[in-house]
Amino acid sequence: MDRKKYRQLRIAVAFFVGMIVSIAVTKDSYLLAVAAVLTGMIFMILVRVKAKIRTDERELTIQEKAARLTYAIFAPTIGIASFLLLLPSKGGIDVFSKGEWLYIESLGMVFAYLTLFLIIIYAISYHFFNRKYGGGGNEK
Amino acid sequence: MKNKLKVYRAMHNLTQEQLADKIGVSRQTVIAIENDKYLPSLGLAFKIARLFKVKVEEIFTYQEDDKDE
Repeated sequence: MDRKKYRQLRIAVAFFVGMIVSIAVTKDSYLLAVAAVLTGMIFMILVRVKAKIRTDERELTIQEKAARLTYAIFAPTIGIASFLLLLPSKGGIDVFSKGEWLYIESLGMVFAYLTLFLIIIYAISYHFFNRKYGGGGNEK
Repeated sequence: MKNKLKVYRAMHNLTQEQLADKIGVSRQTVIAIENDKYLPSLGLAFKIARLFKVKVEEIFTYQEDDKDE
């Protein structure tokens, strides 16, 4: 199987999974939706392995750059959002004055922990890859 | 970085698809290298050079005004 056939198959599988998920959601059968997604994923992994579709270095470079940009945008955005949501502005905006600020504060806490989690994951993976690619040592 | 990949590919009567299969990358990668949109890794550059039985610098030429990225 070549890349073109693999791509066509991927589109077909995505279409069918999407269809089953939409039917499952309208019928309130979330189990079916999860099963459809999992089946689609397993099927595509098996086909990918069998067809020996490799991710080439250009794709990896694109993924690296996309991941870096996503982190550069997402981390500050969610960090600033959590800071703003946690600001003690009970009397300020209408939505906060009715006691609903508690929910906003909870959301801010969730965002703050997400930011921390993101930074920790980044730091750990940076440390790991730095070690893997020869950094971190003082040997001459 | 300039390269003569297109020339060497034509000299060996290879299509982009065939070359991509031989060096283990996608056709899009070959197109990107030929159009100077993507700089291949050292490993891939050596693979290409070995395939055409020439030195790397015969296919890829470094230019002073090249950016690192």
